[in-house]
Amino acid sequence: MPADPSKIKFLVVDDFSTMRRIVRNLLKELGFTNVDEAEDGAVAWQKLQGGGFDFVITDWNMPNMDGLTLLQTIRGDATHKVLPVLMITAEAKKENIIAAAQAGASGYIVKPFTAATLNEKLTKIFEKLGW
Amino acid sequence: MSDFAGMEDLLQDFLIEATDLLSGVDNKLVDLEKNPQDHGLLNDIFRGFHTIKGGAGFLNATELVTLCHLTENLFDKLRNNELELTKEIMDSIMAATATVRDMFGNLESGMQPPPADAQLIADLRAAIAGELGTHAAAAAPAVPAPAPAAMPPAAGPDWNQLYGAVAGTAPDVAAAAPASPEPAMHTQVAGQTPEAVIQHAVGRRATDKPGAVSAPVGRRDTEKTRDNSIRVDTSRLDQVLNLSGEIGLTKNRLNSLRSDILNGRSDTDTLHALDQAVSQLDLLVSDLQNAVMKTRMQPIGRLFQKYPRIARDLARNLGKDVELVLAGEETEIDKTMIEDLSDPIIHLIRNAVDHGVEGPEERRASGKPEKSQVRLEARQEGDHIVLIVADDGHGMNAEKLRAKALAKGLITDEEANTMDERQSLNLVFLPGFSTKEVASDVSGRGVGMDVVKTNIQKLNGSIEIKSQVGKGTTFIISLPLTLAILPVLLVQLGEQPFAVPLSMVREILPIQIDQVQEVGGRATMVVRGEVMPIYPIAHLLGWAPEQVPEYGVLMQTADHTFILAIDGFMGREDAVIKSLEDFRPKGVAGVTTLSNGQIVLILDMKELLADMGENRGVPRSSFIPAERAAA
Repeated sequence: MPADPSKIKFLVVDDFSTMRRIVRNLLKELGFTNVDEAEDGAVAWQKLQGGGFDFVITDWNMPNMDGLTLLQTIRGDATHKVLPVLMITAEAKKENIIAAAQAGASGYIVKPFTAATLNEKLTKIFEKLGW
Repeated sequence: MSDFAGMEDLLQDFLIEATDLLSGVDNKLVDLEKNPQDHGLLNDIFRGFHTIKGGAGFLNATELVTLCHLTENLFDKLRNNELELTKEIMDSIMAATATVRDMFGNLESGMQPPPADAQLIADLRAAIAGELGTHAAAAAPAVPAPAPAAMPPAAGPDWNQLYGAVAGTAPDVAAAAPASPEPAMHTQVAGQTPEAVIQHAVGRRATDKPGAVSAPVGRRDTEKTRDNSIRVDTSRLDQVLNLSGEIGLTKNRLNSLRSDILNGRSDTDTLHALDQAVSQLDLLVSDLQNAVMKTRMQPIGRLFQKYPRIARDLARNLGKDVELVLAGEETEIDKTMIEDLSDPIIHLIRNAVDHGVEGPEERRASGKPEKSQVRLEARQEGDHIVLIVADDGHGMNAEKLRAKALAKGLITDEEANTMDERQSLNLVFLPGFSTKEVASDVSGRGVGMDVVKTNIQKLNGSIEIKSQVGKGTTFIISLPLTLAILPVLLVQLGEQPFAVPLSMVREILPIQIDQVQEVGGRATMVVRGEVMPIYPIAHLLGWAPEQVPEYGVLMQTADHTFILAIDGFMGREDAVIKSLEDFRPKGVAGVTTLSNGQIVLILDMKELLADMGENRGVPRSSFIPAERAAA
């Protein structure tokens, strides 16, 4: 776990604003207060190119650009390819998880989840990154 | 006793957003019926259910999750071409959407939704398995028959839970379960009454249905609370912020100018600067007013969204093929008006589908395309919003309308004979005119055409009918942009100004007293060949006349055209209406303040006229001040 959670800047990507708020609230519960939002992959990618983000949490199913494409775009970009990306979906389908893993997702979380589950996933990712 | 303690905010957010989403889905379903192969539509609908499912999961709304999950799976198969969209599948999908809406209703009253109707779940499962409407057809999906063998275990409706949700009490075995074998809440569209269709589609709960289990009508209160919030584009709020900042700066400038002037500096430069600052403030304040008003404006499309589904379900029930065409969805209108318009428009659409357009045979016989069209259109015309509901049906027959009104004793023989086309069409707005639809309507409140008209008038609007026999009928609603600002004409009685709503004013004409003639004890004036009653404003207000009125304002209310005789006028003004809270003299709608600080009463013409009673006549003598009359 990083020393100061409020230093990590998150980008929460979901087309359903209620869901963005849920994720934002859960993050806040865990002490991560530096959160920005985007309503689909395309907007997210634009924001990411502006720089300053440390972590992306994205929904899978979205209009314009879905979460998987966003993930692939991030991994295919020289400056952003190391950015941690946590995928959120409503499905625990094997083929989805495999697709996410193949595209280079840092983690995978199934809706609905609690702050504890989110924390667990985040901690794992942080450990891997050595933060 | 909410199931969502601590989650109320989340629940509210979810409901607002998910309800919007569901309306969108509903609309796309209607489109999908026309283009069953449209991949984009299938994808969008899939995502709609998927998103609702995701949100519902966080609310622990298990039954909603289950239903959305099934529907989503079905769409997954449809979009992957693994299934073909049959009529049976479409019916199940429509029923599923209606049930999702019901479940939103449960959530809104703080209750976890009960399980969906077992037959519906079974149909959805059968559809996913590719068995609905094929070999399972024998199980007759349209009739909620005794559970077919294929049904999952324990799928019968949980009456205790259903009762709990409906009555808002803990399940009580003795009081539960009306013994009806038929699932009362989620029957399929095909078997429903038009009322039920509308209730489903507009999101009223089945519990609001007259005759349903202990139907607490008061539930609508929760809906009202929710509607008090508004979603505003942040760029509009930014503009408000920006303008108020600039006003602050101008205020500072004025403050410093004031000190200068108080200190004796009144040279041309200072005065010029003052003039500039005041003009700028003027500009900024009116910009701010506009910007604030804009935050209340919402695209009317949000209201329109739910109508195609209503029209479709209704048409299917009546065995008609009707397409509802929308136009001008982007037109913006005051949020409070959107809510009040909902019921009148539903009624007009229903009317068009039910009475306006013909059945397929009749249309074929008269050489029209079988599919009839109802058009719902919005547009801004100057400072007004115009809403149009038009059908291409058989039109209205003025002769028949007069006969019906006569038969019902609503008009006299003499009145019937003198009525022109427009007046005859307007007969449908008379209370008691419509026969079929009384008290069976939208929300069981008996919305008739008279109520439609009253509701529109409450919004300072007007409604007009145009109809051509054989071609169709058009209802034209005209509404002010907002209710907060009322354009008025300032008229004078002696020196005293009064304001009358500009929307009623047609023209201003000079009055020559010798042109005022008395017909049957009523003062009248001929304007371009038409005889109009003329009422002096002094008489309406109960003042003694001090001079002979010089001007007449030709005014038109919904059912009455007349000339208001005044002593003078001061021009038009955009009045900000202040209501007189506890003290409301008869005939006064409110007050406003003029630029010079003078307080002016805004007259309620309708109330003033009503005061005059049936005859509505004013003798010519009342025009002339007492001393002149005596002389």
